[in-house]
Amino acid sequence: MTNIVEATALVKSYGNFKALDGVDLAIPSGSISGLIGPNGAGKTTTLKSLIGLCDVEGELVVAGRDPRVSRHKLMEDVCFIADVGILPKWFTVNQVIDYVEAVHPRFDRKKAEKFLSTTDIPAKKRIKNLSKGMVTQLHLAMVMSIDVKLLVLDEPTLGLDIIYRKEFYDRLLNDYYDGNRTIIISTHQVEEIETLLSHLVFINKGKIVLDSQMSDIAEIYTEVLVDADMVQQADELKPIHIRTLLGKKSYTFEAVDKAQLQELGELYTPSVADLFVAKMSEDRHG
Amino acid sequence: MDKFTLFQFYALLKREFLEHRNLFLGAPAVLAALILVAAIWIASQLEQAEIVKGMEYLSVLFDGLSPFDMAPFFMMLAIPFMITLYICSLIYLVNTLFQDRKEMSVLFWQSMPVSNFKTVLSKVVTVVVVAPIFYVAIIFALYLVGMIWLTVLGLINGVDLVGIGWMFLAAIASLLLIYLSTFIASLWLFPTLGWLLLFSAFARKTPALWAIGVFILVGFLEDFMFGSQYLANWVESRATNPNQYLIFDFHNVLDRLFNYDMLFGLIVGSILVAGAVYMRRFID
Repeated sequence: MTNIVEATALVKSYGNFKALDGVDLAIPSGSISGLIGPNGAGKTTTLKSLIGLCDVEGELVVAGRDPRVSRHKLMEDVCFIADVGILPKWFTVNQVIDYVEAVHPRFDRKKAEKFLSTTDIPAKKRIKNLSKGMVTQLHLAMVMSIDVKLLVLDEPTLGLDIIYRKEFYDRLLNDYYDGNRTIIISTHQVEEIETLLSHLVFINKGKIVLDSQMSDIAEIYTEVLVDADMVQQADELKPIHIRTLLGKKSYTFEAVDKAQLQELGELYTPSVADLFVAKMSEDRHG
Repeated sequence: MDKFTLFQFYALLKREFLEHRNLFLGAPAVLAALILVAAIWIASQLEQAEIVKGMEYLSVLFDGLSPFDMAPFFMMLAIPFMITLYICSLIYLVNTLFQDRKEMSVLFWQSMPVSNFKTVLSKVVTVVVVAPIFYVAIIFALYLVGMIWLTVLGLINGVDLVGIGWMFLAAIASLLLIYLSTFIASLWLFPTLGWLLLFSAFARKTPALWAIGVFILVGFLEDFMFGSQYLANWVESRATNPNQYLIFDFHNVLDRLFNYDMLFGLIVGSILVAGAVYMRRFID
Protein backbone atom coordinates (compact mmCIF):
# COMPACT_ATOMS: atom_id res chain seq x y z
CA MET A 1 0.00 0.00 0.00
CA THR A 2 1.39 3.41 -0.91
CA ASN A 3 1.34 6.30 1.49
CA ILE A 4 -0.37 9.55 0.62
CA VAL A 5 1.45 11.33 3.44
CA GLU A 6 5.12 10.73 4.22
CA ALA A 7 6.60 12.92 6.93
CA THR A 8 9.98 12.50 8.56
CA ALA A 9 11.33 14.42 11.53
CA LEU A 10 8.92 17.35 11.34
CA VAL A 11 9.88 20.11 13.73
CA LYS A 12 8.01 23.34 14.35
CA SER A 13 9.08 25.74 17.09
CA TYR A 14 7.41 28.86 18.41
CA GLY A 15 10.21 30.46 20.40
CA ASN A 16 11.24 27.87 22.97
CA PHE A 17 8.03 25.89 22.59
CA LYS A 18 8.22 22.93 20.23
CA ALA A 19 4.77 22.39 18.73
CA LEU A 20 6.17 19.51 16.68
CA ASP A 21 9.18 17.70 18.04
CA GLY A 22 10.34 15.24 15.40
CA VAL A 23 7.06 13.93 14.02
CA ASP A 24 7.30 10.88 11.74
CA LEU A 25 4.06 10.06 10.00
CA ALA A 26 2.98 7.74 7.22
CA ILE A 27 -0.68 7.78 6.22
CA PRO A 28 -1.66 4.93 3.87
CA SER A 29 -3.67 5.83 0.76
CA GLY A 30 -7.31 4.86 1.08
CA SER A 31 -7.28 4.85 4.86
CA ILE A 32 -9.44 6.70 7.32
CA SER A 33 -6.82 7.86 9.78
CA GLY A 34 -7.46 9.38 13.16
CA LEU A 35 -4.96 11.84 14.59
CA ILE A 36 -5.84 11.81 18.25
CA GLY A 37 -4.31 13.92 20.97
CA PRO A 38 -5.17 16.16 23.89
CA ASN A 39 -5.55 19.91 23.44
CA GLY A 40 -2.25 21.52 22.49
CA ALA A 41 -0.67 18.20 21.47
CA GLY A 42 0.27 19.43 17.98
CA LYS A 43 -2.68 18.11 15.97
CA THR A 44 -3.54 21.36 14.24
CA THR A 45 0.11 22.20 13.57
CA THR A 46 0.59 18.77 12.00
CA LEU A 47 -2.47 19.13 9.78
CA LYS A 48 -1.60 22.69 8.81
CA SER A 49 1.85 21.47 7.81
CA LEU A 50 0.29 18.84 5.55
CA ILE A 51 -1.49 21.53 3.53
CA GLY A 52 1.35 24.03 3.42
CA LEU A 53 0.01 26.51 5.95
CA CYS A 54 2.84 26.06 8.39
CA ASP A 55 6.53 26.53 7.76
CA VAL A 56 7.76 23.28 9.21
CA GLU A 57 11.24 21.74 9.15
CA GLY A 58 11.80 18.16 8.01
CA GLU A 59 10.89 16.00 5.05
CA LEU A 60 7.30 16.13 3.92
CA VAL A 61 5.51 14.75 0.86
CA VAL A 62 1.73 14.91 0.52
CA ALA A 63 0.03 13.47 -2.57
CA GLY A 64 3.38 13.55 -4.34
CA ARG A 65 4.15 17.19 -3.57
CA ASP A 66 5.96 19.28 -1.00
CA PRO A 67 3.17 21.42 0.52
CA ARG A 68 5.63 24.16 1.44
CA VAL A 69 6.52 24.70 -2.19
CA SER A 70 3.30 24.16 -4.11
CA ARG A 71 0.32 24.59 -1.78
CA HIS A 72 -2.05 25.82 -4.45
CA LYS A 73 -1.27 22.89 -6.75
CA LEU A 74 -1.59 20.48 -3.84
CA MET A 75 -5.00 21.88 -2.97
CA GLU A 76 -6.36 20.54 -6.24
CA ASP A 77 -5.92 17.09 -4.66
CA VAL A 78 -6.58 17.92 -1.01
CA CYS A 79 -9.56 19.39 0.82
CA PHE A 80 -9.51 20.81 4.31
CA ILE A 81 -12.06 21.62 6.99
CA ALA A 82 -10.94 23.18 10.25
CA ASP A 83 -13.27 23.52 13.21
CA VAL A 84 -16.50 25.32 12.44
CA GLY A 85 -16.68 28.91 11.41
CA ILE A 86 -13.88 29.31 8.90
CA LEU A 87 -16.16 30.03 5.97
CA PRO A 88 -16.14 33.79 5.35
CA LYS A 89 -19.00 35.24 7.36
CA TRP A 90 -20.02 37.83 4.76
CA PHE A 91 -20.50 35.28 1.97
CA THR A 92 -24.01 34.02 1.23
CA VAL A 93 -24.49 30.28 0.70
CA ASN A 94 -24.87 30.83 -3.06
CA GLN A 95 -21.73 32.98 -3.18
CA VAL A 96 -19.71 30.19 -1.52
CA ILE A 97 -20.89 27.78 -4.21
CA ASP A 98 -20.15 30.29 -6.99
CA TYR A 99 -16.68 30.95 -5.62
CA VAL A 100 -15.66 27.33 -5.19
CA GLU A 101 -17.06 26.48 -8.62
CA ALA A 102 -14.95 29.24 -10.16
CA VAL A 103 -11.66 28.47 -8.42
CA HIS A 104 -11.70 24.68 -8.04
CA PRO A 105 -11.36 22.60 -11.21
CA ARG A 106 -12.71 19.46 -9.51
CA PHE A 107 -15.87 20.92 -7.99
CA ASP A 108 -19.22 19.49 -9.07
CA ARG A 109 -21.91 22.10 -8.56
CA LYS A 110 -24.81 19.71 -9.13
CA LYS A 111 -23.51 17.41 -6.42
CA ALA A 112 -23.23 20.30 -3.95
CA GLU A 113 -26.73 21.50 -4.72
CA LYS A 114 -28.04 17.97 -4.29
CA PHE A 115 -26.37 17.65 -0.88
CA LEU A 116 -27.67 21.05 0.19
CA SER A 117 -31.21 20.23 -0.93
CA THR A 118 -31.29 17.56 1.77
CA THR A 119 -30.57 20.18 4.44
CA ASP A 120 -32.48 23.20 5.75
CA ILE A 121 -29.78 25.65 4.69
CA PRO A 122 -31.32 28.67 2.92
CA ALA A 123 -29.32 29.51 -0.24
CA LYS A 124 -29.60 33.27 0.11
CA LYS A 125 -28.59 33.59 3.75
CA ARG A 126 -25.23 34.90 4.83
CA ILE A 127 -22.88 32.51 6.63
CA LYS A 128 -22.96 34.72 9.75
CA ASN A 129 -26.71 34.11 10.02
CA LEU A 130 -26.41 30.31 9.90
CA SER A 131 -26.12 28.12 12.97
CA LYS A 132 -22.79 26.42 13.69
CA GLY A 133 -24.24 23.11 12.61
CA MET A 134 -25.44 24.54 9.30
CA VAL A 135 -22.04 26.10 8.55
CA THR A 136 -20.41 22.71 9.04
CA GLN A 137 -23.08 21.01 6.91
CA LEU A 138 -22.44 23.57 4.18
CA HIS A 139 -18.68 23.16 4.35
CA LEU A 140 -19.01 19.38 4.26
CA ALA A 141 -21.37 19.62 1.26
CA MET A 142 -18.75 21.73 -0.52
CA VAL A 143 -15.81 19.40 0.09
CA MET A 144 -17.87 16.28 -0.63
CA SER A 145 -18.56 17.76 -4.06
CA ILE A 146 -14.87 18.13 -4.82
CA ASP A 147 -13.16 15.07 -6.23
CA VAL A 148 -9.87 14.93 -4.31
CA LYS A 149 -7.47 12.27 -3.07
CA LEU A 150 -7.17 13.46 0.50
CA LEU A 151 -9.60 15.10 2.90
CA VAL A 152 -8.13 16.66 6.05
CA LEU A 153 -10.53 17.38 8.90
CA ASP A 154 -9.28 19.30 11.92
CA GLU A 155 -11.73 18.93 14.81
CA PRO A 156 -14.56 19.18 12.28
CA THR A 157 -17.42 18.71 14.73
CA LEU A 158 -16.17 20.88 17.57
CA GLY A 159 -19.02 22.76 19.23
CA LEU A 160 -21.78 20.85 17.43
CA ASP A 161 -24.60 18.99 19.12
CA ILE A 162 -24.78 15.20 18.94
CA ILE A 163 -27.30 15.12 16.07
CA TYR A 164 -25.12 17.22 13.75
CA ARG A 165 -22.01 15.31 14.82
CA LYS A 166 -23.54 11.96 14.06
CA GLU A 167 -24.93 13.16 10.73
CA PHE A 168 -21.55 14.59 9.79
CA TYR A 169 -19.75 11.28 10.15
CA ASP A 170 -22.63 9.27 8.67
CA ARG A 171 -22.55 11.40 5.52
CA LEU A 172 -18.81 11.24 5.31
CA LEU A 173 -18.83 7.48 5.44
CA ASN A 174 -21.91 6.77 3.33
CA ASP A 175 -21.82 9.50 0.68
CA TYR A 176 -18.15 10.32 0.37
CA TYR A 177 -15.71 7.61 1.37
CA ASP A 178 -15.21 5.13 -1.45
CA GLY A 179 -12.12 3.21 -0.38
CA ASN A 180 -9.83 5.14 -2.73
CA ARG A 181 -9.91 8.47 -1.00
CA THR A 182 -7.97 9.08 2.18
CA ILE A 183 -9.46 10.90 5.15
CA ILE A 184 -7.46 12.24 8.08
CA ILE A 185 -9.50 13.31 11.08
CA SER A 186 -8.04 15.02 14.10
CA THR A 187 -10.04 15.15 17.29
CA HIS A 188 -9.78 14.80 21.02
CA GLN A 189 -13.22 13.19 21.17
CA VAL A 190 -12.00 9.67 20.54
CA GLU A 191 -15.25 7.74 21.03
CA GLU A 192 -16.93 9.54 18.17
CA ILE A 193 -14.69 8.31 15.40
CA GLU A 194 -13.41 5.07 16.87
CA THR A 195 -15.61 2.87 14.66
CA LEU A 196 -14.72 4.73 11.45
CA LEU A 197 -10.97 4.42 11.62
CA SER A 198 -8.70 2.05 9.77
CA HIS A 199 -5.52 3.71 10.99
CA LEU A 200 -4.73 5.26 14.33
CA VAL A 201 -2.16 7.87 15.32
CA PHE A 202 -1.75 9.35 18.80
CA ILE A 203 0.14 12.56 19.26
CA ASN A 204 1.22 14.19 22.49
CA LYS A 205 3.54 17.11 23.21
CA GLY A 206 4.55 17.31 19.57
CA LYS A 207 5.54 13.66 19.33
CA ILE A 208 3.83 10.64 17.81
CA VAL A 209 3.20 8.15 20.62
CA LEU A 210 1.27 5.56 18.63
CA ASP A 211 1.01 4.82 14.91
CA SER A 212 -0.78 1.63 13.98
CA GLN A 213 -3.34 -0.03 11.72
CA MET A 214 -6.59 -0.53 13.62
CA SER A 215 -6.41 -4.21 12.71
CA ASP A 216 -3.07 -4.47 14.53
CA ILE A 217 -4.28 -2.82 17.74
CA ALA A 218 -5.85 -6.03 19.04
CA GLU A 219 -2.58 -7.85 18.34
CA ILE A 220 -0.35 -5.37 20.09
CA TYR A 221 -2.42 -4.08 23.00
CA THR A 222 -4.18 -6.15 25.58
CA GLU A 223 -6.18 -5.13 28.60
CA VAL A 224 -6.27 -7.60 31.45
CA LEU A 225 -8.67 -7.59 34.39
CA VAL A 226 -6.08 -8.96 36.76
CA ASP A 227 -7.08 -11.40 39.51
CA ALA A 228 -6.17 -10.09 42.96
CA ASP A 229 -3.53 -12.76 43.58
CA MET A 230 -1.79 -12.11 40.25
CA VAL A 231 -1.08 -8.38 40.75
CA GLN A 232 2.60 -8.84 41.47
CA GLN A 233 3.16 -10.94 38.36
CA ALA A 234 1.25 -8.40 36.31
CA ASP A 235 3.44 -5.57 37.62
CA GLU A 236 6.53 -7.45 36.53
CA LEU A 237 5.36 -7.53 32.90
CA LYS A 238 5.61 -3.72 32.76
CA PRO A 239 2.07 -2.56 31.96
CA ILE A 240 1.72 0.81 30.24
CA HIS A 241 -1.33 1.71 32.31
CA ILE A 242 -3.18 0.51 35.37
CA ARG A 243 -6.69 1.53 36.36
CA THR A 244 -9.26 0.31 38.84
CA LEU A 245 -12.39 -1.21 37.38
CA LEU A 246 -15.27 -2.62 39.44
CA GLY A 247 -12.98 -3.09 42.39
CA LYS A 248 -10.45 -4.98 40.28
CA LYS A 249 -7.27 -3.72 38.72
CA SER A 250 -7.18 -3.46 34.95
CA TYR A 251 -3.74 -3.52 33.31
CA THR A 252 -2.95 -2.45 29.76
CA PHE A 253 0.03 -4.13 28.09
CA GLU A 254 1.88 -3.34 24.90
CA ALA A 255 3.45 -6.12 22.84
CA VAL A 256 3.32 -8.75 25.57
CA ASP A 257 2.60 -12.35 24.62
CA LYS A 258 -1.13 -13.10 25.09
CA ALA A 259 -0.43 -16.63 26.33
CA GLN A 260 1.55 -15.12 29.16
CA LEU A 261 -1.20 -12.63 29.95
CA GLN A 262 -3.95 -15.21 29.95
CA GLU A 263 -2.69 -16.53 33.26
CA LEU A 264 -3.23 -13.15 34.92
CA GLY A 265 -6.96 -12.87 34.33
CA GLU A 266 -9.62 -12.02 31.76
CA LEU A 267 -8.31 -10.51 28.46
CA TYR A 268 -9.88 -7.68 26.48
CA THR A 269 -8.93 -5.52 23.51
CA PRO A 270 -8.80 -2.00 24.89
CA SER A 271 -11.12 0.58 23.31
CA VAL A 272 -9.39 3.45 21.50
CA ALA A 273 -10.47 5.75 24.32
CA ASP A 274 -8.89 3.51 26.98
CA LEU A 275 -5.79 3.04 24.88
CA PHE A 276 -5.58 6.80 24.47
CA VAL A 277 -5.73 7.37 28.22
CA ALA A 278 -3.14 4.59 28.71
CA LYS A 279 -0.70 6.05 26.18
CA MET A 280 -1.14 9.60 27.43
CA SER A 281 -0.53 8.62 31.06
CA GLU A 282 2.45 6.49 30.01
CA ASP A 283 3.80 9.55 28.25
CA ARG A 284 3.16 11.69 31.31
CA HIS A 285 4.83 9.32 33.73
CA GLY A 286 7.66 8.64 31.31
CA MET B 1 -3.75 32.17 -20.12
CA ASP B 2 -6.50 29.58 -20.37
CA LYS B 3 -10.21 30.15 -19.87
CA PHE B 4 -10.29 28.58 -16.39
CA THR B 5 -7.47 30.85 -15.14
CA LEU B 6 -9.38 33.91 -16.35
CA PHE B 7 -12.62 32.65 -14.82
CA GLN B 8 -10.75 31.97 -11.58
CA PHE B 9 -9.21 35.44 -11.49
CA TYR B 10 -12.59 37.00 -12.19
CA ALA B 11 -13.94 35.09 -9.15
CA LEU B 12 -11.11 36.52 -7.02
CA LEU B 13 -11.97 40.07 -8.12
CA LYS B 14 -15.65 39.40 -7.46
CA ARG B 15 -14.76 38.19 -3.99
CA GLU B 16 -12.90 41.46 -3.30
CA PHE B 17 -15.89 43.46 -4.47
CA LEU B 18 -18.38 41.45 -2.41
CA GLU B 19 -16.25 41.68 0.71
CA HIS B 20 -15.51 45.39 0.37
CA ARG B 21 -18.55 46.71 -1.45
CA ASN B 22 -19.00 49.40 1.22
CA LEU B 23 -15.65 50.92 0.25
CA PHE B 24 -16.03 50.57 -3.49
CA LEU B 25 -19.74 51.13 -4.05
CA GLY B 26 -21.28 52.25 -0.75
CA ALA B 27 -18.89 55.15 -0.11
CA PRO B 28 -19.16 56.81 -3.56
CA ALA B 29 -22.94 56.17 -3.64
CA VAL B 30 -23.38 57.95 -0.31
CA LEU B 31 -21.17 60.79 -1.54
CA ALA B 32 -23.20 61.07 -4.76
CA ALA B 33 -26.43 61.12 -2.76
CA LEU B 34 -25.03 63.91 -0.55
CA ILE B 35 -23.97 65.92 -3.58
CA LEU B 36 -27.41 65.45 -5.12
CA VAL B 37 -29.14 66.59 -1.94
CA ALA B 38 -26.81 69.60 -1.76
CA ALA B 39 -27.52 70.44 -5.41
CA ILE B 40 -31.27 70.23 -4.87
CA TRP B 41 -30.98 72.42 -1.79
CA ILE B 42 -28.89 75.02 -3.65
CA ALA B 43 -31.34 74.96 -6.57
CA SER B 44 -34.25 75.44 -4.17
CA GLN B 45 -32.57 78.58 -2.80
CA LEU B 46 -32.23 80.14 -6.26
CA GLU B 47 -34.85 81.92 -8.34
CA GLN B 48 -35.88 79.90 -11.40
CA ALA B 49 -34.84 82.82 -13.61
CA GLU B 50 -31.30 82.65 -12.19
CA ILE B 51 -31.06 78.92 -12.95
CA VAL B 52 -32.31 79.45 -16.49
CA LYS B 53 -29.75 82.24 -16.93
CA GLY B 54 -27.00 79.93 -15.73
CA MET B 55 -28.14 77.20 -18.06
CA GLU B 56 -28.18 79.54 -21.01
CA TYR B 57 -24.62 80.61 -20.14
CA LEU B 58 -23.44 76.98 -19.97
CA SER B 59 -25.28 76.11 -23.17
CA VAL B 60 -23.44 78.86 -25.05
CA LEU B 61 -20.12 78.02 -23.35
CA PHE B 62 -20.09 74.35 -24.39
CA ASP B 63 -21.88 74.61 -27.74
CA GLY B 64 -19.82 73.04 -30.51
CA LEU B 65 -16.61 72.67 -28.48
CA SER B 66 -14.72 69.37 -28.35
CA PRO B 67 -15.87 67.36 -25.32
CA PHE B 68 -12.26 66.29 -24.80
CA ASP B 69 -11.07 69.90 -24.61
CA MET B 70 -13.88 70.79 -22.22
CA ALA B 71 -13.59 67.68 -20.05
CA PRO B 72 -11.21 69.29 -17.47
CA PHE B 73 -14.09 71.61 -16.56
CA PHE B 74 -15.67 68.67 -14.76
CA MET B 75 -12.53 67.43 -13.03
CA MET B 76 -13.09 69.69 -10.05
CA LEU B 77 -16.51 68.12 -9.47
CA ALA B 78 -14.83 64.72 -9.28
CA ILE B 79 -12.23 65.66 -6.66
CA PRO B 80 -14.37 64.65 -3.63
CA PHE B 81 -14.87 61.26 -5.29
CA MET B 82 -11.17 60.84 -5.94
CA ILE B 83 -10.26 61.77 -2.36
CA THR B 84 -12.85 59.24 -1.13
CA LEU B 85 -11.42 56.62 -3.45
CA TYR B 86 -7.86 57.18 -2.19
CA ILE B 87 -8.93 57.01 1.46
CA CYS B 88 -11.02 53.87 0.85
CA SER B 89 -8.13 52.28 -1.05
CA LEU B 90 -5.76 52.90 1.86
CA ILE B 91 -8.25 51.37 4.31
CA TYR B 92 -8.73 48.42 1.97
CA LEU B 93 -5.03 47.77 1.40
CA VAL B 94 -4.04 47.85 5.04
CA ASN B 95 -6.86 45.50 6.06
CA THR B 96 -7.33 43.14 3.16
CA LEU B 97 -4.66 40.53 3.98
CA PHE B 98 -5.17 41.03 7.73
CA GLN B 99 -8.95 40.72 8.01
CA ASP B 100 -9.25 37.11 6.84
CA ARG B 101 -6.46 36.02 9.16
CA LYS B 102 -8.24 37.75 12.02
CA GLU B 103 -11.56 36.03 11.38
CA MET B 104 -9.80 32.73 10.48
CA SER B 105 -11.48 32.50 7.08
CA VAL B 106 -7.91 32.47 5.74
CA LEU B 107 -8.01 28.71 6.33
CA PHE B 108 -10.85 28.49 3.84
CA TRP B 109 -9.18 30.74 1.26
CA GLN B 110 -5.92 28.84 1.60
CA SER B 111 -7.70 25.51 1.25
CA MET B 112 -8.59 26.43 -2.32
CA PRO B 113 -6.17 25.87 -5.20
CA VAL B 114 -5.39 29.57 -5.59
CA SER B 115 -1.79 30.73 -5.31
CA ASN B 116 -0.84 33.51 -2.92
CA PHE B 117 0.51 35.41 -5.89
CA LYS B 118 -2.91 35.39 -7.56
CA THR B 119 -4.61 36.35 -4.30
CA VAL B 120 -2.35 39.35 -3.76
CA LEU B 121 -2.49 40.25 -7.45
CA SER B 122 -6.29 40.31 -7.28
CA LYS B 123 -6.00 42.89 -4.51
CA VAL B 124 -3.61 45.05 -6.51
CA VAL B 125 -5.85 44.87 -9.59
CA THR B 126 -8.87 45.70 -7.42
CA VAL B 127 -7.27 48.95 -6.28
CA VAL B 128 -5.57 49.99 -9.49
CA VAL B 129 -8.10 48.89 -12.11
CA VAL B 130 -11.47 47.84 -10.66
CA ALA B 131 -12.27 50.28 -7.84
CA PRO B 132 -11.96 53.38 -10.10
CA ILE B 133 -14.49 51.78 -12.49
CA PHE B 134 -17.12 51.76 -9.74
CA TYR B 135 -16.34 55.34 -8.77
CA VAL B 136 -16.55 56.47 -12.39
CA ALA B 137 -19.85 54.58 -12.77
CA ILE B 138 -21.31 56.37 -9.75
CA ILE B 139 -20.10 59.74 -11.06
CA PHE B 140 -21.70 58.86 -14.40
CA ALA B 141 -25.00 58.09 -12.63
CA LEU B 142 -24.78 61.43 -10.85
CA TYR B 143 -24.14 63.28 -14.12
CA LEU B 144 -27.02 61.42 -15.73
CA VAL B 145 -29.43 62.52 -13.01
CA GLY B 146 -28.13 66.09 -13.36
CA MET B 147 -28.51 65.94 -17.12
CA ILE B 148 -32.10 64.69 -16.94
CA TRP B 149 -32.89 67.44 -14.46
CA LEU B 150 -31.35 70.13 -16.68
CA THR B 151 -33.11 68.76 -19.76
CA VAL B 152 -36.50 68.92 -18.07
CA LEU B 153 -35.75 72.44 -16.79
CA GLY B 154 -34.53 73.46 -20.24
CA LEU B 155 -37.62 72.10 -21.96
CA ILE B 156 -39.92 73.93 -19.54
CA ASN B 157 -38.03 77.21 -19.88
CA GLY B 158 -37.16 77.08 -23.56
CA VAL B 159 -33.36 76.93 -23.18
CA ASP B 160 -31.37 75.76 -26.23
CA LEU B 161 -30.59 72.13 -25.34
CA VAL B 162 -27.95 71.55 -28.00
CA GLY B 163 -25.30 73.34 -25.90
CA ILE B 164 -26.41 71.37 -22.83
CA GLY B 165 -25.97 68.20 -24.91
CA TRP B 166 -22.37 69.25 -25.69
CA MET B 167 -21.85 69.87 -21.98
CA PHE B 168 -23.03 66.35 -21.22
CA LEU B 169 -20.58 64.96 -23.77
CA ALA B 170 -17.77 66.90 -22.03
CA ALA B 171 -18.93 65.42 -18.72
CA ILE B 172 -18.76 61.93 -20.23
CA ALA B 173 -15.27 62.64 -21.62
CA SER B 174 -14.21 63.77 -18.15
CA LEU B 175 -15.02 60.29 -16.85
CA LEU B 176 -12.15 58.97 -18.94
CA LEU B 177 -9.87 61.65 -17.48
CA ILE B 178 -11.00 60.74 -13.96
CA TYR B 179 -10.33 57.07 -14.64
CA LEU B 180 -6.91 57.76 -16.08
CA SER B 181 -6.09 60.07 -13.17
CA THR B 182 -6.97 57.48 -10.55
CA PHE B 183 -5.26 54.71 -12.50
CA ILE B 184 -2.04 56.67 -12.89
CA ALA B 185 -2.19 57.92 -9.30
CA SER B 186 -2.43 54.32 -8.03
CA LEU B 187 0.58 53.36 -10.11
CA TRP B 188 2.41 56.44 -8.86
CA LEU B 189 1.55 55.40 -5.30
CA PHE B 190 2.60 51.80 -5.94
CA PRO B 191 5.27 51.87 -3.19
CA THR B 192 2.56 52.91 -0.69
CA LEU B 193 0.32 50.17 -2.01
CA GLY B 194 3.07 47.58 -1.58
CA TRP B 195 4.02 48.87 1.87
CA LEU B 196 0.44 48.62 3.15
CA LEU B 197 -0.07 45.14 1.67
CA LEU B 198 3.19 44.00 3.25
CA PHE B 199 2.05 44.96 6.74
CA SER B 200 -1.46 43.75 6.07
CA ALA B 201 0.06 40.33 5.40
CA PHE B 202 2.53 40.55 8.28
CA ALA B 203 0.88 42.15 11.31
CA ARG B 204 -0.93 40.03 13.88
CA LYS B 205 -2.68 43.10 15.23
CA THR B 206 -3.24 46.70 14.09
CA PRO B 207 -1.61 46.57 10.64
CA ALA B 208 -2.10 50.33 10.12
CA LEU B 209 -0.08 51.07 13.23
CA TRP B 210 2.68 48.74 12.03
CA ALA B 211 2.77 50.31 8.58
CA ILE B 212 3.03 53.84 9.94
CA GLY B 213 5.23 52.92 12.91
CA VAL B 214 7.85 51.03 10.93
CA PHE B 215 8.00 53.80 8.33
CA ILE B 216 8.65 56.40 11.02
CA LEU B 217 11.20 54.12 12.65
CA VAL B 218 13.10 53.54 9.41
CA GLY B 219 13.12 57.29 8.70
CA PHE B 220 14.32 57.97 12.23
CA LEU B 221 17.05 55.31 11.99
CA GLU B 222 18.27 56.77 8.71
CA ASP B 223 18.48 60.20 10.27
CA PHE B 224 20.13 58.83 13.40
CA MET B 225 22.70 56.63 11.66
CA PHE B 226 23.54 58.60 8.52
CA GLY B 227 22.24 62.06 9.33
CA SER B 228 20.31 62.00 6.07
CA GLN B 229 16.61 62.19 5.21
CA TYR B 230 16.53 60.52 1.80
CA LEU B 231 13.53 58.36 2.62
CA ALA B 232 11.44 61.19 4.04
CA ASN B 233 12.37 63.49 1.16
CA TRP B 234 11.64 60.85 -1.46
CA VAL B 235 8.22 60.13 0.00
CA GLU B 236 7.47 63.83 0.38
CA SER B 237 8.47 64.60 -3.19
CA ARG B 238 6.19 61.85 -4.47
CA ALA B 239 3.27 62.60 -2.17
CA THR B 240 3.08 66.35 -2.56
CA ASN B 241 3.01 66.57 -6.33
CA PRO B 242 -0.64 67.19 -7.33
CA ASN B 243 0.25 66.70 -11.00
CA GLN B 244 0.46 63.01 -10.27
CA TYR B 245 -3.07 62.79 -8.95
CA LEU B 246 -5.02 64.92 -11.38
CA ILE B 247 -4.76 64.94 -15.13
CA PHE B 248 -6.37 67.85 -16.90
CA ASP B 249 -5.11 67.11 -20.37
CA PHE B 250 -5.25 63.87 -22.33
CA HIS B 251 -1.90 64.74 -23.90
CA ASN B 252 -0.18 64.36 -20.52
CA VAL B 253 -1.17 60.75 -20.03
CA LEU B 254 1.80 59.13 -21.76
CA ASP B 255 4.31 61.46 -20.06
CA ARG B 256 2.88 60.58 -16.67
CA LEU B 257 2.97 56.88 -17.36
CA PHE B 258 6.38 56.57 -18.92
CA ASN B 259 9.11 58.26 -16.94
CA TYR B 260 11.95 57.09 -14.72
CA ASP B 261 10.33 58.26 -11.47
CA MET B 262 7.26 56.18 -12.26
CA LEU B 263 9.37 53.18 -13.21
CA PHE B 264 11.43 53.40 -10.03
CA GLY B 265 8.29 53.60 -7.89
CA LEU B 266 6.82 50.60 -9.68
CA ILE B 267 9.97 48.58 -9.04
CA VAL B 268 10.03 49.49 -5.32
CA GLY B 269 6.28 48.78 -5.06
CA SER B 270 6.64 45.43 -6.84
CA ILE B 271 9.36 44.34 -4.43
CA LEU B 272 7.08 45.21 -1.51
CA VAL B 273 4.15 43.36 -3.12
CA ALA B 274 6.42 40.33 -3.58
CA GLY B 275 7.18 40.63 0.15
CA ALA B 276 3.44 40.54 0.87
CA VAL B 277 3.08 37.38 -1.26
CA TYR B 278 5.93 35.80 0.70
CA MET B 279 4.40 36.79 4.06
CA ARG B 280 1.09 35.33 2.97
CA ARG B 281 2.62 31.88 2.47
CA PHE B 282 2.52 30.83 6.09
CA ILE B 283 -0.29 32.16 8.19
CA ASP B 284 0.97 31.32 11.64
